[in-house]
Amino acid sequence: MFSQLFINGLIAGAIYALVASGFSLIYSTCKFIHFAHGAVVAVTAYILYLFFSLLGLNFWLAVILTIIFAGFFGWLINKILYKKLRKRKASNVILLIASVGLLILLESLILLFFGADVKTIGFIKIAKGLEFLGAIITPLQIVIIISSFVLLFLLFFFTKKSKIGKAMRAVADNRDVAEIVGISAEKMFSWSFIIGSAIAGIAGILVGLEQNLEPTMGTNLIIKGFTGAIIGGIGSVPGAILGSFLLGFSENFGIWFLPSGYKDAIAFIILFVFLLARPQGILGRKK
Amino acid sequence: MLEIKNLKKYFGGVKAVDNCSFEVKPKTITALIGPNGAGKSTVFNLVSGILKADSGKIIFSGADITKAKPEKISNLGISRLFQQTKLFNNLTVKENLLLALDNEDTKFWKNLFSLNKLSKEKETKIKEMLNLIGMEKFESTLTRDLSYGQKRLIELLRTILNPHKFLMVDEPVAGVNPKLREVIAKILEKLKNQGETILLIEHDMNFTLNVADWVIVMEKGKVIAQGKPEEIRNNPRVLEAYLGE
Repeated sequence: MFSQLFINGLIAGAIYALVASGFSLIYSTCKFIHFAHGAVVAVTAYILYLFFSLLGLNFWLAVILTIIFAGFFGWLINKILYKKLRKRKASNVILLIASVGLLILLESLILLFFGADVKTIGFIKIAKGLEFLGAIITPLQIVIIISSFVLLFLLFFFTKKSKIGKAMRAVADNRDVAEIVGISAEKMFSWSFIIGSAIAGIAGILVGLEQNLEPTMGTNLIIKGFTGAIIGGIGSVPGAILGSFLLGFSENFGIWFLPSGYKDAIAFIILFVFLLARPQGILGRKK
Repeated sequence: MLEIKNLKKYFGGVKAVDNCSFEVKPKTITALIGPNGAGKSTVFNLVSGILKADSGKIIFSGADITKAKPEKISNLGISRLFQQTKLFNNLTVKENLLLALDNEDTKFWKNLFSLNKLSKEKETKIKEMLNLIGMEKFESTLTRDLSYGQKRLIELLRTILNPHKFLMVDEPVAGVNPKLREVIAKILEKLKNQGETILLIEHDMNFTLNVADWVIVMEKGKVIAQGKPEEIRNNPRVLEAYLGE
């Protein structure tokens, strides 16, 4: 039982971490809560469904096109919505309301174009799970865990070591100073949307392969990703990853003692506990 | 090198900069002085693009930069030290200086994997500069953990390392101890001897009049006098502005 819950927690944590890390990257650079990030996950899952299941493209080509689409979609959202609002000196509350509006709009568009019934991508046929330390895990779940870890490591390396990652951290730290030394904050905002959304796209692909697609799937994922980011320390990408895994484990070990229907309640209880006891999160600094 | 023509910036009813005009000649240290609220830092913010002028023109090396963005102004060659120390607090001293050292940070594909042939050369340059001010041990320290004086020095180094043709230095010795003040004065003197063009704001009159070639005095957003330091020292209008009637 323990090992099965551990594996389940690891899978949930890996997916939440992908959503939370992209969300946190955008938050730390642009300093506002982009709730529509959840809708980007959902839209890209449906785009994979369109490319692969409806248009019949080769699966790997469809995956690559979907990731490119996700990055482009993130860039477009920033360009046509947030950048324009920033130019008009919109406050963070306005940006937050716009992001919630966009989340609802995108979910409604999915509903309009693809319908309300659940969809299945169907690339991976139902396979017999492998036994690992007494727990059952499917090959797809192994792929989810490995690809999440590789991506999260690459993202960490990118932000810490690459020059462009440092420039992004510089804008996140102090926009005025960044601009004074010649770094364009708007360019960095665009790149954070492109990279964050491409990661959301990969999360969408992995979730889409593992579960059925439904128009509101993004809302649930962004709530979990957001909770993970708060627990780990909002604005910290490593914190978001840590918080997401903690959330994944808590949800799954929680149902050892409680009915599985309480899974979402566990996430919110942890969120409230952190907001009351340690609002800056695990890796966040007290201000 | 820098021409300010009829520059105006009002904040509501407050005329922070009011029809201000002056010129900074190449290879000189020009001091901008005046009592608190004279509009000196606002002029700096307008030239560096942090604020936008209501009217007037700012010409730098023949180019109109009145409406240019701060990063464009920086990339044209204007480097600036803030009045209140501003650094990337969550980055190390070395990262702070490296980010200033070239203006190609936003070239995504070139920098994606730090593919930058000059990086070793740049690191050496940073080490040399830190050695000069005796802060080589602090290379990997987060700047938020430095003392006020150390932060001031690192910001001054950043301003110098940022590729430039023109330096704007806002109160470099304000609030620092006498020893550090000497270090900063020596750095400015060295820059002057290298033929740098500098626009300086400083409240310390002795310090200013010793280093400056030309002095511009502002009061209530306007230029009330300008001339050589010895002329300004005895100018009755300037004395009145500073000491009151």
